[in-house]
Amino acid sequence: MTETKKLSKKALSKSFHNWYYGNLTCFSQEHMQTFGYLVSMLPLVEELYAGDEDRKAAAMNTYTAFFNTEPQFGAVVVGITAGLEEARANGSDDVDDETINGLRAGLMGPIAGIGDSLVVGTVIPILLGIAMGMSTGGSPLGAIFYIIVWNLFAYFGMKLLYYKGYELGTKAVEFLIGDIGEAIREAVTTLGGIVIGAVSATWVSVKTSFALYNSAGEAYMVLQEKLDSVFPGLLTAIVVIFCWWLMSKKRLSPLKVMLLLVVIAFVGVLVGFFDPGLAY
Amino acid sequence: MTISWFQAILLGLFASLSSMPGLGGTSIGNYTLGRPLIGGLVCGIILGDIPTGIMVGTAMQVVYIALVTPGGTVSADVRAVSYIGIPLAMVALKSYGLEASSADGAALATSFGTMVGTVGTVLFYGTATMNLLWQHIGWAAVEKRDYQKLYLVDMVLPWISHIVFSLIPTVIMCKLGANVVDAIKVALPMDGIAMKTLFTVGSLLPCVGIAILLKQIVRNAADFIPYLFGFTLAASMGINLVSSTVVAGMFAILIYKLKLLQLRKPAAAGAADFDDDEEEI
Repeated sequence: MTETKKLSKKALSKSFHNWYYGNLTCFSQEHMQTFGYLVSMLPLVEELYAGDEDRKAAAMNTYTAFFNTEPQFGAVVVGITAGLEEARANGSDDVDDETINGLRAGLMGPIAGIGDSLVVGTVIPILLGIAMGMSTGGSPLGAIFYIIVWNLFAYFGMKLLYYKGYELGTKAVEFLIGDIGEAIREAVTTLGGIVIGAVSATWVSVKTSFALYNSAGEAYMVLQEKLDSVFPGLLTAIVVIFCWWLMSKKRLSPLKVMLLLVVIAFVGVLVGFFDPGLAY
Repeated sequence: MTISWFQAILLGLFASLSSMPGLGGTSIGNYTLGRPLIGGLVCGIILGDIPTGIMVGTAMQVVYIALVTPGGTVSADVRAVSYIGIPLAMVALKSYGLEASSADGAALATSFGTMVGTVGTVLFYGTATMNLLWQHIGWAAVEKRDYQKLYLVDMVLPWISHIVFSLIPTVIMCKLGANVVDAIKVALPMDGIAMKTLFTVGSLLPCVGIAILLKQIVRNAADFIPYLFGFTLAASMGINLVSSTVVAGMFAILIYKLKLLQLRKPAAAGAADFDDDEEEI
C-alpha cells in the first residue's frame, strides 16, 4: 500500500443522501431494500476503487445480498459498511464479503426491531398525537408542525446514525443495544403508552345508545352515563383492550379484527346498542 | 363538490410520492405525505377546503396512528387512505350535508377511508410486483458492470410502477367515486341499518389502530397502567395532548434514571434484580 485511502466528504454525503431518499423507492417483496443499498454504496465504491474495474465489481457484488430493516435506523448499518469498505480498500485482511454480509445480516433484525418500535411505534404516534391536537377544528397548524418536526428529526437523526456508523463502526450499535439504549427504550415506551392513552381518550369515542325507559317513556337508566360515571370513556377503553386481546392473545390479524368489528357493529345496531342517530 | 381531472391528477401524483415504496422516499414520502393528517392538508389544498381536509384527515389518522409495516407486510395502504379515501370522504360529507367536525362526520370519514385503505393493499402488491421488472434490469446492469444504471433502476423506473398502480387508480377512483358516493346516498338511507352500521364501524375502527400500537408496548396487564393513566389525564382530567405529553415526559425521565441505576450496579444488587422483567422490545 502506498497511501491510505480516505473517503471524501462528498462521497460520504452522496452515499448518505442516496440512502435517505432511495432506501425503498424500488421496493419489491423479493429484494426489499437491496437496490437502495446498492445505490448508497455506489459513490463509495467508485471513489475507493477508481480505475480498478475488477475490485469495483467485487465490492458491488458484496451488496447484492438481500437487505431489509427499518430504514431510518438502518442508516447506521450503511454507515458501518462504508467504514468497512474503506478498511477493505486499504488492504485490511479481516474485512471480506463474509464479514460485511455477516454483519449486515446480523444487524438487520435487531435494528428493525428497535427502529419499528421506537420510530414507527413511538415517535411518530407522539408527534401525530400532538399534531392532531393542534389541528382540532381544521387548523393546518398541527399538520405543518408534524411536517417540520418529523422531517428535521428524521433527516438529522439518520445523518447522525450514518456518520456515527462510519466513524465508530460496530461500536455505534453498542449504544443501541447497551445499557443506555435499554433505559431509553423503556422510558420511551412508557412515554408512548401514556401519550397513546391520551390520544385515544381525545380522539376515539365509542358510545352506546342503550337505555331503559319507564312506562311514561322517560329514560331512567342511560347506560352511557352510568358507564362514564364509573370511568369516563370506559366503553372506548374496553373496546381498545378487547382489540388488543384479540390481536395479541388470540393472534387475529388486524383485518380480521376489523371484520369482527363490522359484525359487532351490525348486531349492535340491530339490538339498539349502537345508534348514531342520523337522518337526512 | 366534484373533483376535476386536474385535481385528480394532482392527487394521483401525491399518491405516487407517498405510498410505501413511495417515490418521495421513506421519510418525506411514506412517513410524512402518507400520514392521513398530512394527506388531509394536501387534499384540502388541492380541493380548496383546508378545514374539511384536515378534519377528515385527523379522523382517519387515529385508525392509522401505528401503521407499522414489518418486513413489508401491509394491512392498509396509505396512498389509498390519504389520496383516495380522504377526497372521497370529503365529497361524501358535502353530499350528505354532514359537518366534518361532528362525531358523525368523523365516523363516516373513518369508514370510507378504512374501506378504501384495505382495498388499496392491492395497489401496494401491484407496485412491488412491477418493481421486479426494473430490478431485473438492475441485475443485468450489475452483471455488465454498468453501475450508473442502478440510479435509473432505483429512482426513475419505479415511476412507471407508480403511474400504473398509484396515479391512474387514484384518478379513476376520484373521478368515479364522486358518482358512487351519490349513488350510495340514494340507495342507502341514513337511518337504515346499513348506514347505521357503517357509522358505528367508523367509530369502532380507531380502536384497532390504538390496539396495534398497544400490542407493541403491552405484554401483561400491568403494562396497561401507563395507557390508562394517559387515558385518565385526557378523559377524566381534561388535560390536552401537549400537556399530557409533558406529564408523560416527566415519567419517562424518572424511568430512564431508575432503569439506568438498576442496570449499572450489576454486582451489588444484580443477582436479585435480574429476574423476569427484562423483556427485549
